[in-house]
Amino acid sequence: MGAAGSKLEKALGDQFPEGERYFGFENFGNTCYCNSVLQALYFCVPFREQLLEYYTSNKSVADAEENLMTCLADLFSQISSQKKKTGVIAPKRFVQRLKKQNELFRSYMHQDAHEFLNYLLNEVVDILEKEAKATKTEHETSSSSSPEKIANGLKVPQANGVVHKEPIVTWVHNIFQGILTNETRCLRCETVTARDETFLDLSLDIEQNSSITSCLKNFSSTETLHAEDKFFCDKCCSLQEAQKRMKIKKPPHILVIHLKRFKYIEQLGRYKKLSYRVVFPLELKLSNTVEPYADVEYSLFAVVVHVGSGPNHGHYVSLVKSHNHWLFFDDENVEMIEESAVQTFFGSSQEYSSNTDHGYILFYESLGPTK
Amino acid sequence: MMNTSNGMISAPSSSSSPAANPQSPGIKTYFKTPEGKYKLHYEKTHSSGLLHYAHGKTVTQVTLAQLKERAAPSTPTGTSSGYSTSSGFRSATARLLGTGNGSRALSFVGGNGGGKSVSTSSRISGSFAPSNSSTSMTNTNFDGKGTYLVFNVSDAIFICDLNSQDKDPVKSIHFSNSNPMCHAFDPDAKDGHDLLIGLNSGDVYTVSLRQQLQDVSKKLVGALHYNKDGSVNNSRCTSISWVPGGDGAFVVAHADGNLYVYEKNKDGATESTFPAIRDPTQFSVDKAKYSKSNPVARWHICQGSVNSIAFSNDGAHLATVGRDGYLRIFDFLTQKLVCGGKSYYGALLCCSWSMDGKYILTGGEDDLVQVWSMDDRKVVAWGEGHNSWVSGVAFDSYWSSPNSDGSGEHVMYRFGSVGQDTQLLLWDLEMDEIVVPLRRAPGGSPTYSTGSSAHWDNVIPMGTLQPAPCKRDVPKLSPIIAHRVHTEPLSGLMFTQESVVTACREGHIKIWTRPSESETQSNSSEANPTSALLSTSFTKDNKASLSSKIIGGSTFKQ
Repeated sequence: MGAAGSKLEKALGDQFPEGERYFGFENFGNTCYCNSVLQALYFCVPFREQLLEYYTSNKSVADAEENLMTCLADLFSQISSQKKKTGVIAPKRFVQRLKKQNELFRSYMHQDAHEFLNYLLNEVVDILEKEAKATKTEHETSSSSSPEKIANGLKVPQANGVVHKEPIVTWVHNIFQGILTNETRCLRCETVTARDETFLDLSLDIEQNSSITSCLKNFSSTETLHAEDKFFCDKCCSLQEAQKRMKIKKPPHILVIHLKRFKYIEQLGRYKKLSYRVVFPLELKLSNTVEPYADVEYSLFAVVVHVGSGPNHGHYVSLVKSHNHWLFFDDENVEMIEESAVQTFFGSSQEYSSNTDHGYILFYESLGPTK
Repeated sequence: MMNTSNGMISAPSSSSSPAANPQSPGIKTYFKTPEGKYKLHYEKTHSSGLLHYAHGKTVTQVTLAQLKERAAPSTPTGTSSGYSTSSGFRSATARLLGTGNGSRALSFVGGNGGGKSVSTSSRISGSFAPSNSSTSMTNTNFDGKGTYLVFNVSDAIFICDLNSQDKDPVKSIHFSNSNPMCHAFDPDAKDGHDLLIGLNSGDVYTVSLRQQLQDVSKKLVGALHYNKDGSVNNSRCTSISWVPGGDGAFVVAHADGNLYVYEKNKDGATESTFPAIRDPTQFSVDKAKYSKSNPVARWHICQGSVNSIAFSNDGAHLATVGRDGYLRIFDFLTQKLVCGGKSYYGALLCCSWSMDGKYILTGGEDDLVQVWSMDDRKVVAWGEGHNSWVSGVAFDSYWSSPNSDGSGEHVMYRFGSVGQDTQLLLWDLEMDEIVVPLRRAPGGSPTYSTGSSAHWDNVIPMGTLQPAPCKRDVPKLSPIIAHRVHTEPLSGLMFTQESVVTACREGHIKIWTRPSESETQSNSSEANPTSALLSTSFTKDNKASLSSKIIGGSTFKQ
C-alpha cells in the first residue's frame, strides 16, 4: 500500500498540507461502516482537536481504564503522529473494543454506519459525563467555587441560577448538538406549546429527485394532528386537533444529516434501500431556523457513502474535504478526487441503475457563529 | 443520400409516437396555465443503444438553430428568425416587451424546406397516431430553411427537426476524442460557420450546420478547430456563445474559471499564449502574446468553474455564473465589472437575460430562481418553488401580459425555470408588485420590517459584488404553475414562438405547444377543424413579414 500512498503524495505535491496525515484503515471483515465514519470524524477538525487534547491531558494518568473513547483517542493520535504522510493503519484496538462492548457490532454482518456513528457519539458523551460528574463531586467537596472551564476542555453551563440542574454540556455537545423546537398549536384555543429537544444529527426523509434543502423544508413542514393522532391540549384539557411543526432553535456547529435511505416496506416485510437522487450542495443554509440563526452558512466537509443496492450488504466509503482538497477513503485506499466528483454520489433518478454509490451521512461545518 | 443517413439513425425506435410516451409513466401530457393549456406536442430523443458511455456522463444542453433560406441570406425575411438562440440579435433592442404589439397574432412557423407539405399533413394526426411512414417524412431538403434542435448526449451531438413529429434525430455526429459539452448557433453568421461546439477536453469547433446535415457520415465535417487538444486551456468547456453583433467573435467559458474570446478571422492553428494568472482570486483580462493567434484574450473570472454565460441581446453585457455562487455582469467592450452578487448559498448553474436587458435570471444550488435588476444592481426577487437545484431559466419573450395597455407602466414579464426536481415552473413578474415597493423609503412598505434593509436602501455602486442577501430582505415569488415534465432531472428550457422546449440531463426533449388562444387569429387562414389545436404551425407565409419584427430568443444554457 506504500505505493498508493506515494501516489497520493505525488498528486498533492508541494500542496500537501503541513502536518496533515492521510491514512487508510485496514478492514477486519465488514468493518467499512466503522472505517468510513472514523475518517469523517477524523477530518471533523474540532472533534479531532478536542479528542487529541483529551488524549494528551489523560496520557499521564497511567491507570486510565480503557474505554471506547480512549481507544478512539489512541487511534487518532496514532494517525496524527505518523512519520509518513500517507499509508495504512489498522484500527484493531478500537474495533476489538467496539465488538467487546456492543454485541450489535460483534458479528461480521453488514452494519449501519449511521447507527455506529450514533452509538459512538453517545458513548463518548456518556464517558465524558461520567468523568465530569466525578470531577464535579470532587470539586464540590474540595471547594464550592464553580469554575467556568475545567479540565479536558469540559464546559459547565454559565451560571444563571440553575447550574446544578442543567445537564452537563460536554465538548461533543458543543460540536454536534443542536436544539429543535417542536411547536404545537391547538386548533381550538390557538395556544402554542413549544417543547425543545436536543439532537446530535438530523435524520431526514428523502424523496426522489429532491435536494437536501427540500428535505429540510419537509422536515419542518406543518403537520396536522387529527383523528387517532390528536393532541392533548393542557388549556382545553382535552384531545384536540392541532398543528405541529419542527424548527431548529439552535443550529449545531457541526451539522450531521442522515438520509433515511433504508426504509421498512410493509408489503415486503423488510427494509429496502432507496437509491433516490438527493442532491446536496457544498454550501448550505438552513431554511427552518428561528432568528437570529436564519442565515448561518454551512460548508460540506465529509460524506459517508453507502455502496450497494440493498440494506443488508454492500460497502461504505467516505469523501472528505481537507485543506480544500477532496479525498476518497475506501478502507485502506486513499485517493484525491475532483470537487465535481462529489456529484456522482447523489443517487439515481431511476430505480434500477448501475450507480449504487449514494451519499448517506453528510457532515457540514458552520462558517458563522452558531453560539 | 439523406435517407441512408436517416435510416441508420432512426431505425431502432422510430415507431414510438410521442403520445405513447413509454418512458414517462404518470406524467401528464399537458399542463394548465391562466392563459390555457400547454400540450405535449413532440418528443425528441436519441437511440441510446448507439452511445458508448466511455467518457462518462454528460449533461444535455439544447440549442435552437434556425437555418434560413440559402438563396436570400441578406434579407431577414419571413423566416421566423425570432427563435434563434442566444445571439445574433442586431435589432433586438427595437422590440419592446409587454406592448402587445401583435406578437400574439404572429404565429408563423417556417416548416422545414421541401418536407413541408408532407410534414404538415402528418402533423395533424401526428401526435396520436402511430407513425408508419417515418422514412418518407424525413426526406427533408437541407438546402432549404428549417428549425433544428441541436443537443449533446455523451460523445455525440444530435440534430433534430423541430417541426417534425419524428422522435429520432436526423443527424448524429460522434466525437472520438472527447465529449461535446456546450454549443451555440448564430443564424446570421456570415461565412456559413454558424455552429459552435465546446468539448470536455477544452477543444472548440466552429462548423456549418447545413454542411453537417448534408453530410452522411457521423463525423464532424468542414470544422475549424481551436484550442487543439486543450493546448491553451485543457479544462472542460462549460458554456459557449457568439458575441451578438460581434462579427464572428465568440466566447468560451471553462471549468477552471477562465473564459476566452475568439475572433473568427484569426488563425486557430497558431497557439496563443497568455501570462500566468497573477491572483486567482481576482478578475483579470489578458491579451494573447501574438495578435494573430486565437484565442485573442483570456478573462479570468473566478476560482472554480464558470458554469454558464449569457450575452444581453445587444451584446453590450456579458453575464457569468459559477461555482463560487456569484453572478457577474461585465461590460464586454470595456472589460469591466458592472455589478454582481452572490446566491443565497451554493453554486449558480444557469443565467438568462430579459429581452430588454433589464433583468437577469439565475438558478442554482439553493433551489432558488433569482431575479437580478440591472437598474438596481441587486436581487429584486427570489422565486421559491423548486424542490431541487435550478438548472435552466429563461424569459418568455413571446409572452405579453393580457392586460398590458402598451404604456409600459405595468410591464409584466413571464419567465420559466426547470430544475433537477424534474419540474417546469412558470412565473409572472409584475413590476408594480415587486419592484416599486422596494424603492420606497425605509419603513414605507408595510411588507418589510423596518431596520432590516441595508440591502435595499443603499444605492449600490458600480463595479461591486454584493454578498448573499439575508433571507428576510428579499421579496418572494410563487410560481403560477409547477408541472413535472420529465422523469429525469432537467437541464434546459427555452421558449419559442409557439412552444416551450424542455430537456432532461439524459437527452430527452419535449416540445409543449402554447395554449391555442391564437387560434382565433389563425382561423382566417385555411381553417381546418384540426388546425385549432396546432394552429401555430399552420399560419400562412403572408404573415411572415410581420414576424421579422420579433427578434426573439432564449438563451439556452444547461
